[in-house]
Amino acid sequence: MAVATASSGTDAPPARAADRAGALRRSVQRNLTAHGFLIGAVLCFACFQWYPMVREVIMSFQKAKAGRTTWVGLHNLDQIVHDPSFWPAWRNTAEFTGLALLFGFALPFVTAVVMNELRHARGYLRILVYLPVMLPPVSSLLLFKYLYNPEYGPINRSLQLLHLPTSGWLQSPDMAMLAVVVASTWMNMGSATLIYLAALQNIPGELYEAAELDGAGLLRRVWHVTIPQTRLVLSLMLMLQIVATMQVFVEPFILTNGGQGVEGSTTTVVYLIYQYAFNFSNYGAACALGLLLLLVLAGFSVIYVRLNRRLES
Amino acid sequence: MRRSAALLIAGALTLTAAACSSSSDGGAKPTNGKVTISIDCAPPKSRPTQRKQWADDIAAFEKLHPNITVKSIDTFPCETPELFTAALKGGTEPNVFYTYFTDKQQVLDAGQAADITKYVTSENLPVKDDIMSSVWDTQKSGGKIYGIPRTNYTMGMIINRKLFQKAGLNPDQPPQTWAEVEADAKKIAALGKGIAGYGDYSAGNNGGWHFTAEIYAQGGRMVSDDGTKAAFNNPQGLAVLQNLHKLRFDDNVMGSTQLYKWGDLQKQMAAGKLGMYIAAPDDITYMVQSLGAHYEDFGMGPVPGQSAPGVGTLTGGDDYMFNVKDTPEQIKAGIQLLSYLWLTEGQGQQYNYPRSKSSGQAVGLPQPQLFQGATATKDAQLKAANATMSVQAFEPFVKANVPGVTEPGNAQAIYKILDTTMASALTSRNADLKKLLDTAEQQVNQVLANAQ
Amino acid sequence: MSDTRTLVNPAQLNRTLYRATLILVVAAFTLAFLGPLYLLVTGGLKGTTESIQTPPTFYPHHIEASNYSDAWTRLNIAHLLLNTLWYAFGALAFQLVLDVAAAYSLSKLRPALGNAILGLMLATLMIPAMVLVVPQYLTVLDLPLIHQNLLNSPWAIWLPSVANAFNIYLLKRFFDSVPQELLDSAAIDGAGPLRTLLSIVLPMSRPIIGVVSIFALVNVWKDFLWPLLAEPDPTRQTLNAGIYSLSLGVPENVLIAASAISAVPTVVFFLIFQRNIMSGLTAGSLKG
Repeated sequence: MAVATASSGTDAPPARAADRAGALRRSVQRNLTAHGFLIGAVLCFACFQWYPMVREVIMSFQKAKAGRTTWVGLHNLDQIVHDPSFWPAWRNTAEFTGLALLFGFALPFVTAVVMNELRHARGYLRILVYLPVMLPPVSSLLLFKYLYNPEYGPINRSLQLLHLPTSGWLQSPDMAMLAVVVASTWMNMGSATLIYLAALQNIPGELYEAAELDGAGLLRRVWHVTIPQTRLVLSLMLMLQIVATMQVFVEPFILTNGGQGVEGSTTTVVYLIYQYAFNFSNYGAACALGLLLLLVLAGFSVIYVRLNRRLES
Repeated sequence: MRRSAALLIAGALTLTAAACSSSSDGGAKPTNGKVTISIDCAPPKSRPTQRKQWADDIAAFEKLHPNITVKSIDTFPCETPELFTAALKGGTEPNVFYTYFTDKQQVLDAGQAADITKYVTSENLPVKDDIMSSVWDTQKSGGKIYGIPRTNYTMGMIINRKLFQKAGLNPDQPPQTWAEVEADAKKIAALGKGIAGYGDYSAGNNGGWHFTAEIYAQGGRMVSDDGTKAAFNNPQGLAVLQNLHKLRFDDNVMGSTQLYKWGDLQKQMAAGKLGMYIAAPDDITYMVQSLGAHYEDFGMGPVPGQSAPGVGTLTGGDDYMFNVKDTPEQIKAGIQLLSYLWLTEGQGQQYNYPRSKSSGQAVGLPQPQLFQGATATKDAQLKAANATMSVQAFEPFVKANVPGVTEPGNAQAIYKILDTTMASALTSRNADLKKLLDTAEQQVNQVLANAQ
Repeated sequence: MSDTRTLVNPAQLNRTLYRATLILVVAAFTLAFLGPLYLLVTGGLKGTTESIQTPPTFYPHHIEASNYSDAWTRLNIAHLLLNTLWYAFGALAFQLVLDVAAAYSLSKLRPALGNAILGLMLATLMIPAMVLVVPQYLTVLDLPLIHQNLLNSPWAIWLPSVANAFNIYLLKRFFDSVPQELLDSAAIDGAGPLRTLLSIVLPMSRPIIGVVSIFALVNVWKDFLWPLLAEPDPTRQTLNAGIYSLSLGVPENVLIAASAISAVPTVVFFLIFQRNIMSGLTAGSLKG
């Protein structure tokens, strides 16, 4: 971006006069070219996002049975809200998102801030934190399933040796969600950490000096310089994190042998969608629940855009 | 230049589309008397012995029927629920496709099952009349036949004979009742070193599957006779959960790890860390072939009941169904292939006992039990002649001869719901077992109502 | 960068405190990130009984290296890995061509309805992937209009990967920062849009291209359910799907060994190219 600002001194080209017909022809040609560049991506979006989305909306009002499809109106919606798992699934999703924000959002930021202060071993730490991102997720999850095992897992054994209380982890309704979040954070925090690290390195040192002259302590400097200076990255990552964590699937699916967990403790909304679609062959209900989740996520993004606008102004 | 850029991209897209068209559609069409059929559940590379035997059998079959070409599709496991459901939705199953007995309704609902009644003749399937009518019933709907059975099983209690001996128990006397299970499990768990006396499933639909087996043993049923309502929320269902909860928390003989699904208990058993669990006899084959266990370490008793051996036990199995798009020639060829591979004494995948014996596979397990009459007699003789294990270890199971009860309709959906019930009963000391059944009943009723 | 002023004033830095923090951080990171990997590798060396023994051992008391060869042959890792790389790099190529072109068009060529199209693209970010799995699967079975079945072909992974609004957005935002004057002067020199893109915009956009490339590769690498459904043929499976299928049928120690092997190729790849990957990720990040 430094290059961009450096070259902004170039003089603007002189305005060219053109007759109306020529302007129209050029405008058509310009549009043709522009759409030519665009069409590949647009076709892919149309095939694999927009068209399936329309189909999804239609299917959520339908019921398929023995090869025949019938319109059932709001029956699917009625059915899903009366499923005893419906509200617990939303509660679990909210809990997971909350925990994931604490771990998956705050932890990488704190890690990046600390790493940015260190003058040594930075390369080593960066490699370590990014290494898990490179593992196939199913391998990482099978590893964690083994680590968490209450009987032969090394985690409980380590706690025992340190005379700390052990836990059933994935087997315990209270700890299962936390265990899933920790595994998920371990696997994914590398990317976020490096992105924050890059943002932190862009903060001009003078700002810290100025804050220091004003007598700001460490925490105040974080609050008044670090966070405001990285707020765009932070807010974008927060949004992505919320959208991503509300969609979590593979982690509980592998860790708890199917995804629902003990007493349904890791049953999330996405898991319910999966269950309707692939266990109960009830696409109508799957699509209807998907639509609900979509509305909730859209709500979050509206809030995000509003907040962002207020921050910008 | 501008236009050429647009053209370039448009050209790239055309190429894309053209390249797409090279992908195969997997279909097969008969041409002048020749017929090609695709069949799945062929053993993958990770199981070299079985793979070789499969290839040999297919080659022999093709030699016998020069007009038929068989296209084998590797799958392991033979059925993955996600893929199976997706294939049904898209109509992409092979010509002859593997299913569990319990999948019939789902396949019919998806409109993907071919009616093969007319083609099930003594000519295509010589053992037709020696297959038990209870087995044929699992293949029928509304009087029509939709599948050809492959194997079947009834469940009993697999015991670890070594651990029984170590714990001072008589391995020839597996437990018959839950009280005996409890007593034996306590002694085995007392061996320490993380050894569990008894194990059970609570995930991967297997929890519900075992709940079903255990409620059948109590004399209960999963659904009402007309299949429209759940029927497990009663004293028998409660007894199933109470037995397990007691073993887990009062006796503490089930270890603290739960959420097991098929494959997990086998690993424990093969590693000598589990005393007994409820299973079908072919689990033993699996433990020996895939997990390095030894036949002589295992024995089997009947599924336990409350005060005597179970009054009923779950029976199930797998079969092949036919794609609704199959031509009559393909169905005919498919039935002949299945007859050759799976249902002829002395040959094919499961009745070539001498070959199984020489390649170190198990012969002598009380499974499958498909036949009656002359075929059954012949099978018993051939099996005894080539047995690789002591039949004595299975006598308590065979002698008890608990009558089989078939799985409920919409079984996989019901099992999924009961997984949660089982998981809660096995992981929560303070679980309200009655309430768990109430919730499951409500969910099962909803699934059943939706299936109407 | 080490001389840049950060949160803590280097002049006021307490040496002992700094040393202690450094050691603590390095130790914590090593334990947290290498610890599990150590247990992964050694877990795969244990015997069947030892791997599920209570209490567990922290190093294999009896080394069974055969687990690794066993896992290697059963899982056919080389094949699965090649499949996955083929899918990942193909997806990368498609995204680089089509998404860069689209972002360039939206940013610089500004077609009619461009903003509406961008809006529709960004809207897809809100759609949970799981919601679309079923209709997407049906679409792949029978592409609208041209009626092609993409199942079991790499196209079923490549083409949907192009529909990545996040990458298009990142690219567009970066292209927006390329001054219009540069492009205009190129146009005066007679350069068409394609040449402008290739000779002016792209060379300036190396960092963001790096980021987008990493995201594209990692997305395919990490995806589980979609490749499982789109490539059901075991010979076309991805590493994730292959290990998942295998997890049902092997003892715990062999499964751990298989997981360990599956981690090796990318870890090696990462260690070789880590400088490029790291600089790509950090240089191209969004400016605060």
